[in-house]
Amino acid sequence: MRSQQILRYLLLAAVLLFLGAFLVFPIITVIGTGCDLQLIRELFRNRIYVEGLWNSFAIAVCTTAIVFIISLGLALIYDRFDFPGKSLCNTALLLPMVLPPFVGALGFQQLLGYHGVINSILVNMGLNPVDFLGGSGKFWSICVIEALHLFPICYLNLVTALGNIDPAMTEAAANLGASPWQRFFRIRLPLMRSGILAGCSITLIWSFTELGTPLMFGFTRTTAVQIFNGLTELESNPIPYALVVIMLVFSALLYLIAKAALKSSPAGSGAKGMVNSGAVMLKSWKKVLPLGAFGAITLISALPHLALICCAFSTRYSGTVFPENFTLENFDLALSNVLVLPSIANSLKYSFLAMMIACITGLLVSLASVRWHLRGSGLADLLAMLPLAVPGVVVAFGFLGMSVKFTWASLLFDPVNNPVWLLSIAYAVRRVPYVVRAVSSGLEQTPEELENAARNFGAGPWRTLWRITMPLITANLIVGGLFAFSFSMLEVSDSLILAQKQEFFPITRALYELAQILGYGIGAASAFGVWAMFFLGLTLCAGALLLGRKIGAVFKF
Amino acid sequence: MAQVSIKNLTKSYDGKVKVLDGVDLEIAQGEVVFMLGTSGCGKSTLLRILAGLIAPDSGTISFDGQNILTLPPEKRHAAMVFQNYALWPNLNVFENVAFGLRMEKYPRKEIEKRVMESLDQVQMGAFAKKSVTQLSGGQQQRVALARALAVNPALLLLDEPLSNLDANLRDSMRREIKRICTERKLTALYVTHDRREALSMADRVGVMHKGKISQIGTPDEIYNHPLDGFTARFLGDVNRLPDGGIRPERLKISDSCGKLRARLVERSFFGDSCEWLFETEKQEKLLVRELAPPERKIGNEYFLDYDPAFLIPVPESADEQ
Repeated sequence: MRSQQILRYLLLAAVLLFLGAFLVFPIITVIGTGCDLQLIRELFRNRIYVEGLWNSFAIAVCTTAIVFIISLGLALIYDRFDFPGKSLCNTALLLPMVLPPFVGALGFQQLLGYHGVINSILVNMGLNPVDFLGGSGKFWSICVIEALHLFPICYLNLVTALGNIDPAMTEAAANLGASPWQRFFRIRLPLMRSGILAGCSITLIWSFTELGTPLMFGFTRTTAVQIFNGLTELESNPIPYALVVIMLVFSALLYLIAKAALKSSPAGSGAKGMVNSGAVMLKSWKKVLPLGAFGAITLISALPHLALICCAFSTRYSGTVFPENFTLENFDLALSNVLVLPSIANSLKYSFLAMMIACITGLLVSLASVRWHLRGSGLADLLAMLPLAVPGVVVAFGFLGMSVKFTWASLLFDPVNNPVWLLSIAYAVRRVPYVVRAVSSGLEQTPEELENAARNFGAGPWRTLWRITMPLITANLIVGGLFAFSFSMLEVSDSLILAQKQEFFPITRALYELAQILGYGIGAASAFGVWAMFFLGLTLCAGALLLGRKIGAVFKF
Repeated sequence: MAQVSIKNLTKSYDGKVKVLDGVDLEIAQGEVVFMLGTSGCGKSTLLRILAGLIAPDSGTISFDGQNILTLPPEKRHAAMVFQNYALWPNLNVFENVAFGLRMEKYPRKEIEKRVMESLDQVQMGAFAKKSVTQLSGGQQQRVALARALAVNPALLLLDEPLSNLDANLRDSMRREIKRICTERKLTALYVTHDRREALSMADRVGVMHKGKISQIGTPDEIYNHPLDGFTARFLGDVNRLPDGGIRPERLKISDSCGKLRARLVERSFFGDSCEWLFETEKQEKLLVRELAPPERKIGNEYFLDYDPAFLIPVPESADEQ
């Protein structure tokens, strides 16, 4: 028994070493360089950087506000009413996640550009076109497109939190004379606190650090874009290091506040089973109202994707409501472009490696903390979840810093000549949280007695793990792996920062380059985007089929 | 089948609460011993220590004279029927039962033969290919029992296996388990809080209280001659009399003579029996149980009589109730 315990501790040590070397160490490297008081002082003296920070903060707050309003409204409708097609609506809401906002931005420009769909409608109605993307239009476009992408995560958290509230709580309040509004503000809202905090803090952090969307809109005054643009002159201007530190401090603070607040929350983490919330079916024509709300939001969030699809299937789509022709030429162009096929092969390679690394690490972290109860497993769990709070830009930057500063790192990760392991590991560490949450929830739902029974009937600890535990959590591991794989395929920050030579470009980097090409670039990039959308959609559907409503658990701290 | 010897077993959680406090127990080969006690008395802990799922703080356990405490759970041959059955949902009925035999690397033919024998013994042979998730509670219980029987264990451990079944099913399963234990001459330790289960099935019954075995003996011994008030009360109702306690069925009702005089205040009819509640002049309540009783009138006074040979200890404090 002792040897088996030693082996478990060795495995845990290996995981800690991995997370320490490839997550903590890169972060420390960035902090080491960026935590220079003079540099930070210089940063805050420079109006452009301060404006960048302010814009990022404003984007984060506005995006989160939009996300919260949409998610709360829909979650309350979902919880309160039964209506035809309810579960289909719930799945359809995941649609915005099918595409990274970075690619959605392409479709959004098609909708709101000066020669876009909305303006075409206005012109057809005899009105003057509006420059939606001029002035503060870009800012709001970024907020809306990020909100449309991120709200499902917040929504899933809120639905789970609402589902966990015992209906007897509100019934008791009603029984003591509380009005529907009082019941909402005094009982349900406080009990939903954990879900609200989890959903909103993820949204805040992710939108604060988002690189792809502002980059696609050409909105250069945000911290993430300034870091990205500063990469080329890093040796002469180390300010991006200080920017990364500021970004990290902000995200870490938010994460810690959310964690602390979650701990003191009366409803806990919302990991309890679903309780029947007593949803009612509205009578006659009113029963389509909830459906209408879900339909409208789904349609709005799908519009950029629809525009992108139209773009992909047409060579002339400007100044008209619908595309003028229909063609598969863009798909041909996309595939014949020198960037595309190698980037698909690269992404498949990086993402597969990332998935394997994330699955092994995540599985070991979950087993150590949920089943083996090892000392130090809490630290492993904390480290594994850290990437949710640490912006992708920070980790990518850290890897870059490591490969510049340390010989061992430059041998393993040569961003110029051989970034395969660099990108795979960078993708993997940021996807470990999905695997950990998926597998941990599977382990928590599998009674330990089943494993005790296997031991009782003659199976050793490793055989029990292989014959009983693993088959019972396979679905969860697959879901975690699918998420790790598909989010790696469409990863933006690491791909833009770490892939430097064209032959090593992954899909997103190739997409970005394609979109920059004038002429046929947008059409081909859109065709490429459609493929990406189809791919991620397939993954999410498979995940939803395997996990059902529990899919929300994957997006939790 | 093994002869089991447990000596001075102790176990405490967090170094504070003593769940087992010096348990000694001998189980003869082929004997079925029941441990009866309230929840939290340590009976399940005792079972899990025997199975190797929990390590004791001190004490020894030997099977046929061989110390088994150093052995991991998979080497103990102490097959357990878990309270919630713990059937593996990823394996079908046959594979659940075959699991233990596969771990022992039996030949395929032998596994098939023994699995089907065990399933037939619990009348589940027709369900071999079914998924365990399609079975009812009673059927799952039978499969859990078959799984334990198939490995021919040195010691069979049963952890309240009937507690999740309805009353009718419990009665038939009780008879079934007793028949199988007798047929296969199994050495078994069965824990339960159901005294009917213990008294009807056991060769010997031990009563556990605060981590100790307060008394152990044949069902007849411990029911009719309990050593203390707790055991007396735990195994059945006890009427408090001036000279001791007496079971309700030992009191006789008479119209003409008896040691006590009491007024009839309540009648509870159970179909096969009837309970009469009497009140004495000192407002003390006395319960009398009779099979097929005659008509009696509530409010009338009657005489109650008893044989002092049947007096038993009375629970003294509320703690012992």
